[in-house]
Amino acid sequence: MSKLTKLLEVQDVRKNYGKTASVTQALRGVSFDVLPGEFLGIMGASGSGKTTLLNCIATIIKPTEGRILLSGENISDFGGKDLARYRGSRIGYLFQDFELLDNLTGRENILLPLSIHGESVASAEAKLTELAEFFEIVDVLQKFPTQMSGGEKQRVAAARCLISDPDVVLADEPTGALDTRSARLLMDKLDGSNRAHGTTILMVTHDPNAASFCSRILFIQDGVIFHELRRQVSQESRMEFYERILAVMAQLGGGSANVL
Amino acid sequence: MFFKLAYQNAKRSRQENLIYFFTLVIAVASFYIILALEKQDVITYLRTFESAAVEKLLALMPVLYVVALLLITFLVLFANRYQLDRRSREFGLYMVLGMRRRKLFLQLMTEGTITSCFALVGGIVVGGILSELLSLVTSRLVGQGIIGHQLSFSVAAVGWTALVFLLIQCFVSLVLGVRMFSRELHELLYGRADKKQAKGTARGNLTALLIGVGLLGASYTIVLKYFFLANSQLILLASLLGSVLLCCLGTLFVIRGSARMIGLVAGSSRQKQTHGLRTFTLRQFQEFIANKPLSVTASSLLVFFAIVFLSAGASMILDSNSTEGSSVYDFTVVGEDREVEAILSSAELDPYVANLNRLEMGYMAFTRGSGNQLVTDLDWSGLREKLVAALPAGVADPGIQTNGYSINENDPWELNLLKELDSRMMIPDLIPESSYNRLLEAAGFEAVNLADDEVTFYLNPQFSPRTNTENDSGLDLILQEANSATDAPLRIGTHPLYLAPLPPMKDLIADRSVTLVFAIIVPDALFEEQADPSNRSVYWNFCIPQALEEEQGLLVPMQAASNLLMSSGLEYESYLQNFGRQLFYVVASSYTLLYLGFIFLLIGCSVLALQFLTQMQQTKSRYLTLSMLGAEHAQVRRSLYSQVAAYFLLPLALAIANGAVGLWAIVRILNPINGGPQTYYSAAAIAGVVILIELLYALAVARSADHALDQFLLNTRAG
Repeated sequence: MSKLTKLLEVQDVRKNYGKTASVTQALRGVSFDVLPGEFLGIMGASGSGKTTLLNCIATIIKPTEGRILLSGENISDFGGKDLARYRGSRIGYLFQDFELLDNLTGRENILLPLSIHGESVASAEAKLTELAEFFEIVDVLQKFPTQMSGGEKQRVAAARCLISDPDVVLADEPTGALDTRSARLLMDKLDGSNRAHGTTILMVTHDPNAASFCSRILFIQDGVIFHELRRQVSQESRMEFYERILAVMAQLGGGSANVL
Repeated sequence: MFFKLAYQNAKRSRQENLIYFFTLVIAVASFYIILALEKQDVITYLRTFESAAVEKLLALMPVLYVVALLLITFLVLFANRYQLDRRSREFGLYMVLGMRRRKLFLQLMTEGTITSCFALVGGIVVGGILSELLSLVTSRLVGQGIIGHQLSFSVAAVGWTALVFLLIQCFVSLVLGVRMFSRELHELLYGRADKKQAKGTARGNLTALLIGVGLLGASYTIVLKYFFLANSQLILLASLLGSVLLCCLGTLFVIRGSARMIGLVAGSSRQKQTHGLRTFTLRQFQEFIANKPLSVTASSLLVFFAIVFLSAGASMILDSNSTEGSSVYDFTVVGEDREVEAILSSAELDPYVANLNRLEMGYMAFTRGSGNQLVTDLDWSGLREKLVAALPAGVADPGIQTNGYSINENDPWELNLLKELDSRMMIPDLIPESSYNRLLEAAGFEAVNLADDEVTFYLNPQFSPRTNTENDSGLDLILQEANSATDAPLRIGTHPLYLAPLPPMKDLIADRSVTLVFAIIVPDALFEEQADPSNRSVYWNFCIPQALEEEQGLLVPMQAASNLLMSSGLEYESYLQNFGRQLFYVVASSYTLLYLGFIFLLIGCSVLALQFLTQMQQTKSRYLTLSMLGAEHAQVRRSLYSQVAAYFLLPLALAIANGAVGLWAIVRILNPINGGPQTYYSAAAIAGVVILIELLYALAVARSADHALDQFLLNTRAG
């Protein structure tokens, strides 16, 4: 039963931009739950509201209406210390453009979230080694971001994201700035982490290839969820799931729908 | 529309960036001050003396204008560059939107002109107030109430300041515009492509650091050990330039080298790596230093020069007061006795004359002895014996040197006195007792009362600091001892002479350029008998009556008396004229030093401040990342403040180290003999002021950076 406890609950979240005269409704009432260990994808065209949704969960922006609960706690109520703790250790954020600090080495970047919260070195060392080996970035730990390739940067960012054992990883187009090979490697690693450690991942993407690693996908258009796909993990191959994703995209907004 | 946009942008520049605007205001103010210098009380006063030296020196003022102009151009250039770098993305956008370069350039010029106009108004107000203060303070400090006060505001200076500043601003906009538009659009929009983080190898940087320390050490050694051994002007100048050059290079190497060392500290301290934002702070600091080692070095050196210049200027002003106490007379007139007497007692001049003293002095009569040497009848071997006996243990009698003597301030005063007397006693100056008594009376002291066989010494308090008044009591003791010996201390022929206690020492005449160092005060009869009639001089001295001075101040009656004397055709010298000449040197050099010192200090601080804010602006997204990773605002702010502190402290520390050595040298150059603790205290006070100003800048930068960060984080979150 405990496995089915909801990790993240998004309840009727709305977000308006602008003043009353010219309001843009980015989110018009989005509700869904994320279960522990889930690899959830959020897909949609540009301007569909998917990044706004992720940013609401990440507390980068405040929803106009609705609630977001993490393990039952309303994250909108967080302020000051709680908010910092939430950002630092309960969620991990993976940015499209990595957002590594380019004057810190790879190692220092990865340890930064722990540094910020003043956690102990001993456990961090072990965890760092483990993550570095897992993400194949041992060689670049002493390098600065400007000396790394895009893929290496994003894997360092992923390691930084996971070092503090967050409850949920929020990934915003993590493969957006990567070439196909690097993107594939990154997704393999995220998928591996999800399978091996049960890392909960919430990923926004418009890349069907990346999305095919997910166990469930929500499709957003014009600020509302209009479709949901589930992968039959044991029976369905990733290739088959990919085909289904493409089909939905073609039918419902991504491709030909826009031409009409 | 065009003007409105330019106006709004200019307004935004001022509001968003107080430090930038403040820098411009300071630039205007400092230029105004130098141009309005001629209106200062001290300078106006000095102009009343039609002295060739004063005119010549005033003619050198344009040199200072040019130096100030160059410095201020640099300051304006730097401030504007910073402002443009901040806004390069905005300009890139304008260009992407199709604005033509020429139009954008025109807009930049218009914005610059608008900002300049505001800076001009602010700067002239600030400059006017500072100039007035400066005028009041110097006339109070130096003039001791002699100089009257008048408003120092100068319309001409305002005009020139406005013209020159606008020209500078145009020139700077032109230079920066060309520089900016020659860059790629991509660079404008997204900043410079891949900046290198790792600056050189650890070994290379360590070597640089060690070389730097070595160079600084060499420079300090030259100053501390060899500087004062230099026996010619050329060597002195060479060693001065050499040590300054070594110091500059050393500072550069130390700063270059320390960048990577900071990185090593950041990287190596694993144990502390998870403590807050320490690593981040150190890495930021490293980046600041590594990216702009030249600016940081320049700033450090400017602050160093500021410390030295300000201290030198301040101690010059302070020291100029210390010699006032010994002058008694306001005028000295030279001429034929009867003529002088007639003019000084004339109806016009008489009201200005008090304490008239006909002072006669002369060399003791001498003859040529064997070996063509000049000899007198004076025999002072008795006294000399006592002086030799009074030498401290371990100091030998140097013997009488015929070809001059050398005084070393570190030697015991007894030895220096002996050397001095050895030289002076060959053909001493004589002063009749009555002349000196009239001087003492004018100064309000008791008269000397010499018996027929008594004499005493006159030792000029200013020109004979080796035997300064502290040692007079010691000298008195020796003299009394000499009196009680069986052999008389002095003899003229066969007549023994004894020594009376030393009288108070006062300047003999108003003109300080003719001042006796040593003389023997003798009874009038002895003077008539011994002074060589062909080698006598007569000086008619008088003071302005006390009542008149109290009624009209010193300046007015002195000017009146001066005019009367001038029309009489007599040769004369006044205390004020003489004071004016001295004052001029003090004012000219101390104003220049103080002025340059302050400009250096402000430029040094502005460079650091603007550099920090630029870098901060360029890397502000890092703070967003930190915030996203869960850093609390207070934590980020602490890191920011630490960065500012470290960033200001490194160049300041080097400047203070260099400055301490520089100050030591300055004190010894300015005041080789009396370089006592007082001079050091004033120097230390100046260093304190410099540190305070630097601290204020650092605080302003920290606040400004914090504010910018707040705005940035707020905007991004709201978006």
